[in-house]
Amino acid sequence: MAALAVGLPVLVALMGLAMAGGGLDPAALKQAHVQRVIVFSTVQAFLSTVIALVVGAALALALARRAAFPGRATLIALLSTATVLPGIVVVFSIVALYGRSGFVTGTARALGFEWGSWLYGLPGILIAHAFQNIPFAARLYLHALERTPPEHHRLAAGLGMTPFAIFRHLDWPRLKAETAGLAALIFLLCFISFAVVLALGGGPNRATLEVAIYDALRGEADFARAATLALLQVAIGLGLTLILAWRTAPIAEEAGSRYALLRADRSALPLRLWDIAVLIITALFIAPPILSLLSGAFFITTLVTPDMIRALMTSLALATGTAFVATLIAYAMARGAIAGRRVLYGGLAYATLAMPPFAMVAGLYFALRPLANVMALGIPLIIFINALMALPFAYRLIETPLAIAHQRHGRLAQSLGMTGRDRLRFVEWPLLRRPLFTAAALAAALSLGDFGVIAFFGGSDFVTLPLMLYQQLGAYRMDEASATALLLALLVFVFALGALKETGHAHS
Amino acid sequence: MLTVESVLVTYPGFNGLYDFTLPRGTLAAVIGPSGGGKTTLFNALGGFETLTSGRMTFDGVDFTTSPPAARPTAMLFQDHNLFPHLTAIENVALGIDPGLRLDAAQWRDADHALTQTGLGGMAGRLPAALSGGQRQRVALARALVRNRPILLLDEPFGALDPGLRKEMIALVDALRRERDFTVLMSLHTPEDALGLADRMLFIADGRVQLNETPERVLHSGASELRRFLGR
Repeated sequence: MAALAVGLPVLVALMGLAMAGGGLDPAALKQAHVQRVIVFSTVQAFLSTVIALVVGAALALALARRAAFPGRATLIALLSTATVLPGIVVVFSIVALYGRSGFVTGTARALGFEWGSWLYGLPGILIAHAFQNIPFAARLYLHALERTPPEHHRLAAGLGMTPFAIFRHLDWPRLKAETAGLAALIFLLCFISFAVVLALGGGPNRATLEVAIYDALRGEADFARAATLALLQVAIGLGLTLILAWRTAPIAEEAGSRYALLRADRSALPLRLWDIAVLIITALFIAPPILSLLSGAFFITTLVTPDMIRALMTSLALATGTAFVATLIAYAMARGAIAGRRVLYGGLAYATLAMPPFAMVAGLYFALRPLANVMALGIPLIIFINALMALPFAYRLIETPLAIAHQRHGRLAQSLGMTGRDRLRFVEWPLLRRPLFTAAALAAALSLGDFGVIAFFGGSDFVTLPLMLYQQLGAYRMDEASATALLLALLVFVFALGALKETGHAHS
Repeated sequence: MLTVESVLVTYPGFNGLYDFTLPRGTLAAVIGPSGGGKTTLFNALGGFETLTSGRMTFDGVDFTTSPPAARPTAMLFQDHNLFPHLTAIENVALGIDPGLRLDAAQWRDADHALTQTGLGGMAGRLPAALSGGQRQRVALARALVRNRPILLLDEPFGALDPGLRKEMIALVDALRRERDFTVLMSLHTPEDALGLADRMLFIADGRVQLNETPERVLHSGASELRRFLGR
């Protein structure tokens, strides 16, 4: 059942792409414009990934070595915040800071520097992607470093290891283990990046495939090209996702230790200076865009318009629907995995990562067009596609505790003849209540921030908060945009941070 | 002679005050309830604890404020003694040079240490391919090449089967006789030390309550000890 719910639409979308109106257009792949898009996508994703991994690792090492300094908790909270900010809000923050009339540019101008317009294109995209992914990489790396058994650092101190030897033998193996999976994930996220590239790309050549598909569908109505690009996108996404599924090791928690984690290299002076520099520079990069959101508080009254309230209601309704659908599918798939088809469902959950929203929309559009007015199917389609996008996370959150519940009590439940609702209530619910809630909150947060599918379906009478923000940015109504961005960011926090907190508790 | 003179370690809700001496070459078993201060003593000796006051010397040389690597001590934990990405012999070699810059003779020393702990021929194995007992033997081999006169073993064999545990303690006993090591070894099961250990330290409430031969400690009538042993 669950396999059908996920697999069928993916298949239908793929078929839709294959039989697209007028057939495919392989010649499109040879067009200079398309080739430029492919090259540009690859280059920007590659650069974004390298920046995120290198700076993220330096930041994680600095945070690991400096286990106590004033502001450490704040910095980590800022990192979490940056990770969950929706793409379109990031765009707002970057423009508000580095844009033509932005704070940094304005300050520079006051000091006599004239920079001209440099943000749109590769610089803007790299800044936005760095802002999103450095914190993400840093959090993951830091988590890996903190799982080092404290005994290892005591051994290092006892053996008299130099800071470099500690890096080589203690930190590097842990960073390396995370890097392949992390690199594939960040590359994929940047490769299919939509909101950031659409808003900051500044031209048809500086686009990702997702943006090109959107242009072909919505702008030029060149369906054959859209279908071809979408297939290409799916192929590349699938390849990267396979690497991801293959390299993402199951989380093996080491046994707790009786010792506190004391790093032996914390007192070397040159390293201390280096770490302080890393911390200051990254804090100066990460904090201002987040603080710039607070300026929205001055224009909060602009939010009280009928359009705005309708957009808010639409966003909340879509988020609720997405949370419900995503949790339901993830639970059904996790059940299927417990019943023995782990590879199938695990693969399926990841497959949705390979099917970026626009490729999916394009496919379903072509497949359903003969049968129904697709634009009228907007709301259920958006909910469904957003739910699929949340699935990789939701599935992982739910599958693990469900497997644990069955490992612990499965035999007992069987011997007592417990099935169905009773099993759900006594065996699964106690362990699953929190993960289910977390998955729902996370799906809602993703849906609230989504600026992908809505760009295609949205119109003057069907607007969500992210779409509203995009329109305000396009019209340079920065005051109103700041209020919208603040509201959107706050809404996403409520859900995302709540969810992250829950998972934190579940681990401890 | 190891001298621990009024060493005070304070935490919120706990303070450990240690005062005892052990002659050179002693094998001392350390027993006591968990939370009673055994690990704190090992940490203080190994250099992982900030002392509020007190003094520690070995053969008259004060090492109270020395960094861990400059102390006369080598430490062995219950777990995680080996770096998982390094082979057995590389893990031993770290004890000779923490940057793994060894000449041929030093590599032979490392190999010899493995043979001494009964691991001849396993030099190239990664820790994951060794059993729990074998991993602790590698760690012991490293302690041998480190050649520090004091060996601190914090529940080193707690995760092993009883038979293997006794075998390992016998190995420690044989090595310390050969090298004249002074050994402090905390144990879950005090009986394991009978017949091998010269001394037994009973630590509870942050104090060394008893410092006698194992037989005398185990048959002493102290009420805290009886509670600990469940008698």
